[in-house]
Amino acid sequence: MRDDDIDSILSKEQDIVPSSGFVRSVMEAVQHEATAPQIPFPWKRALPGLSAAVLALGWALVAGISLFKRGTGTEALPAEFLSFLAVISEAWKTVGANWITLALVVSLASVEFSRRFVSRKS
Amino acid sequence: MSAAEDQIMVDRVLAGDTSAFEGLVRRWQGPLINLAYRFCRDRGRAEELSQEAFLRAYRSLDRWRRESAFSTWLFALATNLYCSELMRIPINTIWLGDVAEPRDSRAINGGLEDQDRDRAVRRSVFTLPPKYREALILFYFHDMDVASAARSLGLPEGTVKARLSRGREMLRGKLSQQLAGPASSKKEIS
Repeated sequence: MRDDDIDSILSKEQDIVPSSGFVRSVMEAVQHEATAPQIPFPWKRALPGLSAAVLALGWALVAGISLFKRGTGTEALPAEFLSFLAVISEAWKTVGANWITLALVVSLASVEFSRRFVSRKS
Repeated sequence: MSAAEDQIMVDRVLAGDTSAFEGLVRRWQGPLINLAYRFCRDRGRAEELSQEAFLRAYRSLDRWRRESAFSTWLFALATNLYCSELMRIPINTIWLGDVAEPRDSRAINGGLEDQDRDRAVRRSVFTLPPKYREALILFYFHDMDVASAARSLGLPEGTVKARLSRGREMLRGKLSQQLAGPASSKKEIS
């Protein structure tokens, strides 16, 4: 079958006529949409959560600034946390995580580039 | 009714005259329902889909940037809705095996009568992957105008042309198997 045959078959589609109540049905839905009251944002319910989040953020900000003002700030951190950071840092260096991270980033970038290239071509 | 009249009606709706939207529905109901019908082959669902398209158009009327015609914007919105809705709730998959058998084995064109052949072509469009199917549906809906199809799909013309070409190629492959089947068996018998 040639392209011309496909063109002639698919372009001679018979149109259907909308049912008689279609316009009325659409306009009823539109009127309902227009007159329906807007649902307000539930501020009352969200307020406790939002307040807690703002307070936590403020506390974290104040704590951060006070640590920064004291110098490096490490002396203010608990000893367990500092030793945990040291272990992580040592493991990072031993494994050569910098190179692994770089390789992962390059791989992901090349996969993403290929996907975009293929989708643009198709 | 012209594009300028569409614009006047849109302005009236945006000014708060909801009833002016009826003019837009009256004007575009046919094309929108027919476009939906080509996507789903179900009259009832086509009307439901186009009603939803009109409702979405009403909700986002203020987002129509007047750089393009109202119809272009409306078709793009409707196409987007139809594609995503049919992805969400697909139509009943039609396999080529379900296509009606030829009524008369002596009929022309490899055993399928013209009507059956046309039906087979239309059905096989639905067996294509969505991106090729959508390109083909929009291309023929817009009277084989690639630019209009591309605007409705929100894609560059080159992409639509490539999809049309690949879609037709896949369609030919599917149809050649379907149409050649009865003919080859006839040869074997004779």
